Amino acid sequence: MNFTQNDVAEKIAYEWISTKQENVDVKSEYYCQTRDIFQAKLGKMTMELLRNNSIVENDIYIISAIAGEIGNNSFDHNLGNWPDVAGAFFGYFFENGKLKIILADRGRGILITLKKAKPELKNDAEALKTAFTEKISGRTPENRGNGLKFVRENVEDKKMHLIFISGNGKMELNEKMEIKEITENIRGCLAILSI
Amino acid sequence: MKIELKKFGEMLISRPSGREAYLAMSAYILKGIDKNEIIELDFDGVKVLTPSWADEVITKIAKEFKNVKLINIENPTAQATLRTLREYSDLKI
Repeated sequence: MNFTQNDVAEKIAYEWISTKQENVDVKSEYYCQTRDIFQAKLGKMTMELLRNNSIVENDIYIISAIAGEIGNNSFDHNLGNWPDVAGAFFGYFFENGKLKIILADRGRGILITLKKAKPELKNDAEALKTAFTEKISGRTPENRGNGLKFVRENVEDKKMHLIFISGNGKMELNEKMEIKEITENIRGCLAILSI
Repeated sequence: MKIELKKFGEMLISRPSGREAYLAMSAYILKGIDKNEIIELDFDGVKVLTPSWADEVITKIAKEFKNVKLINIENPTAQATLRTLREYSDLKI
């Protein structure tokens, strides 16, 4: 992937999920081995944003809910099934009034997760569209799977910007949603939320 | 019967914590309560609510009891979450 100098955060996350298992930095401050660690860091981010006072309070709660849904999905859908390194990457970067939140995991990805519920899915791009627009659960027969619809609706509503990559499918969302195939193949999921 | 959700935390986010909250409610708050009794779910003091947490609690209570009322739902995440549950999880309240 190509990164500009301003994309240092994305570069760190991309390296975290694309490097070989033995090179994954498990001592990284952004690494959350368990859900509890992720939850604690999410709470810390929320409190820091509230103290910082640069973003409207109600928007901070929505941002926290969006990050919570995406981050918890990593654990919900990979628990006991991590291909190599368990856990998630969670970083947030606040500069010049702009907030960037990056979440990533080295999990099974959206396509494999949803194929159990929808075997006809052909590729990562199709799986992304299904995940963000259709009522479906990757943990069938459990009746769940509304989190990414919540994410989409609130990103659109608040005019945020979300890039979500899984496998070689890439979704870009602001006021409209665009999904395409890319040449890179991302292990698991990578989400970049910009506000 | 009023259940103050803030007693389960200000940030109600994950499914496991929602499940735990529902189990605690079932054991200590809702046990033996008539299915026709009015159950008020009070969102006052809740800062962050997600569909994952709410689906484990609100959707289940709404299926179990016939008269569930939602009060103090001004928080934007509560409103957005309830919209999502009504659309994708068949929440009827």
